[in-house]
Amino acid sequence: MLAARTTQSANANPARDGGTGFGAGRAEHLETLYRLTDRLYRASGQPAMLQAALDAIGEGLCCDRCSILLFDAAGVMRFAAWRGLSAHYRKTLEGHTPWRPDTVDPEPIFVADIDQTEESEEVKRTIRAEGIRSLAFLPLTAQGKVIGKFMAYHSEPSAFGEAQRALAITVARQIGFSLERAQAEQARLAALRDLVESEQRFRLMAEHAPVMIWMCDAEGRCLHLNQMLRRFWQVEEEQIGGFDWRQLLHPDDVQNVMQHMGAALEQQESVLVTGRYRNASGEYRVLETLANPRFAADGSFMGLTGVNTDITERERAEKALRDSEERFRLVVEASPAGMVMTDGAGRILMINALCEKLFGYDDGELLNREIEVLVPPAMRQHHPGLRETLADRPPPVAKREVVGRRKDGRDIPLEIGVNPILTSDGLRIIATVADIAERKRAEAQRELLLAELNHRVKNTLAVVQGLAHQTFTHADSSARRAFEGRLQALATAHDLLTRSHWESTSLSQLVSDALQIGDTSRQRVSADGPMVRLNPHAALSIALALHELVTNTLKHGALSCDTGVVTLSWNYLDGGEMLRLEWRESGGPMVIPPRHKGFGSLLLERTLARDLDGRVELCFDPAGVVCVIEMPLR
Amino acid sequence: MAWLKGKRILVVEDEALIAVMVEDMLTSMGSEVVGPVGTIEAALDLARGEGLDAAVLDVNVRGERIDPVAELLMGRGVPVLFATGYGEVRLQSGAAATVIDKPYTQEKLARGLMAAMGIASNGGRRAG
Repeated sequence: MLAARTTQSANANPARDGGTGFGAGRAEHLETLYRLTDRLYRASGQPAMLQAALDAIGEGLCCDRCSILLFDAAGVMRFAAWRGLSAHYRKTLEGHTPWRPDTVDPEPIFVADIDQTEESEEVKRTIRAEGIRSLAFLPLTAQGKVIGKFMAYHSEPSAFGEAQRALAITVARQIGFSLERAQAEQARLAALRDLVESEQRFRLMAEHAPVMIWMCDAEGRCLHLNQMLRRFWQVEEEQIGGFDWRQLLHPDDVQNVMQHMGAALEQQESVLVTGRYRNASGEYRVLETLANPRFAADGSFMGLTGVNTDITERERAEKALRDSEERFRLVVEASPAGMVMTDGAGRILMINALCEKLFGYDDGELLNREIEVLVPPAMRQHHPGLRETLADRPPPVAKREVVGRRKDGRDIPLEIGVNPILTSDGLRIIATVADIAERKRAEAQRELLLAELNHRVKNTLAVVQGLAHQTFTHADSSARRAFEGRLQALATAHDLLTRSHWESTSLSQLVSDALQIGDTSRQRVSADGPMVRLNPHAALSIALALHELVTNTLKHGALSCDTGVVTLSWNYLDGGEMLRLEWRESGGPMVIPPRHKGFGSLLLERTLARDLDGRVELCFDPAGVVCVIEMPLR
Repeated sequence: MAWLKGKRILVVEDEALIAVMVEDMLTSMGSEVVGPVGTIEAALDLARGEGLDAAVLDVNVRGERIDPVAELLMGRGVPVLFATGYGEVRLQSGAAATVIDKPYTQEKLARGLMAAMGIASNGGRRAG
């Protein structure tokens, strides 16, 4: 088509007004333009405009066939309005255009004779078949861009005269302006429609949002309440104008809320305020209100737009938590033991007054301090390490004795029980702290008393020995020595009991004390048995019995010669209820049973049996003395 | 017990019956007993004034510690043997001491004195 234009423009026969009989006179042209302008001005839509344009083209260019084509959204030139054109023609030549939408300064094209162009044969054939020999292409532009074209057709080869060309160009411009105006109007309407839709959408959102939304004017008068807020107060939409939410404020909150809201209106600024409001069912709910100022396009203050959030449950939960914490604090405070809680880093989060007093601090003085201030400097360095190992240990950690450092620098003995707990806030370490200075003093006192008691008992034994010494004088030194030996045995057992604080004593220790008989003899005694602990009473009795047996065997029995041996053994009977102890001599001189029982035998068989609530059997077997003691273990 | 013959040995013991017995034990072994005395004051007098080869001291004399007497004697180089019912003895000066437990036999007393006077070579400072 571009090729066609060049050829045709070059070869065009300049038309002369009225020269061909197709053109109209200048006056008619003015008439045509006037009518077109008028109709375009009055047209209420694009179709009416296009019809007016076709009328003007037909009239001004004296043709009964013409058309207007416009680019569609895809940039294809399509027939928008036409006269006297077959469907086949329109279909075949639709999209045919010498210009694109971005063509700069498009020139009109006047084709005098289609046969003289270099168009394809198909195009020429279609045009001829439609009975068309000459055509005019006029570009329609809007805002400098090609939006379409109009076409005028003649059945005979024709030259478009100067006047006709000028008219065609003017008509094209008029159509372009009108289309541009129509498009702008359309765009404006579309924008307006979008705005209305968007407004409606937001209105709908605000109306149905699951929060309470409201608007008030610059004086604080209620303009709008959304559905949720209307339901909260059970206010109908038509009542909003006269609705006064202030009446529903809790009397105690009126001052605070009104002060905040008043300030927001006056300063035209945001506000965040919490208050209790009575809802439709008469229940006070806690509402947190956040409101922002609203301004018109000219900057004038329009009022506030706010959102209310019902925080009643949150408040309740927070209060419950505060109450629970308060209860916990009271329990800790009232605890009869010192209590302290730290975080994982050892910072004191809670400590009761008792505990602070223990360390010589005032109430609350230790809060947020490091727990290490309560540790003597020598141990301070590795204390954090100890704390860290706690985190891995399953509670409860056993109580233990430590030394604490008071504020005045004095060290005090303490017993602490430490429990790590993992909370949602991280590791917490709770410790009970007890001052055991008193207990330590009592323990030391007890030690002292025991030592004193032991001293006195042994002094008394020594006095008894002195008495015996005086009583027996030189008359019977063997009897005196036997007596002294027994006193010694008693004193030795006594020592042993003192060392074990008169609680219980081990049988094997008792045996080894009793066998202080010189190395050569000792090697011939075997002693064997399980670990047995004896109460003080039994221990004294057994010590005396062993003394008798040892003394006897050294004097008359297995240990009185070089060949004899003694086997001492013990074991449990009746599942640990009873103890059986056996002294068995062998290899010594043949045993001759004594004619009358001496003190030793008496002590063993009668006193011991009674003392131990058990059975003692002393047997003077010729092969060696055997003594069996059976006693309950209590 | 030939080595105890003629040795002058101070005896401090507040319990008369024990004192008499110790005196008898020492005398029977040929020693010459200085005392016995039952007060710290009397003991200090003898410890200062007498020529002594050894001393047998009760640790607690009428509620008073024997330490001043022991230290005076040790200062003079007199061997000291403590007789006590308290399992062990630690002097206030911190010096170690040779000890025998009450009640004791004559043999035990002899062994104790031997250890204190450094006559035996068993090396132990504590006599059984």
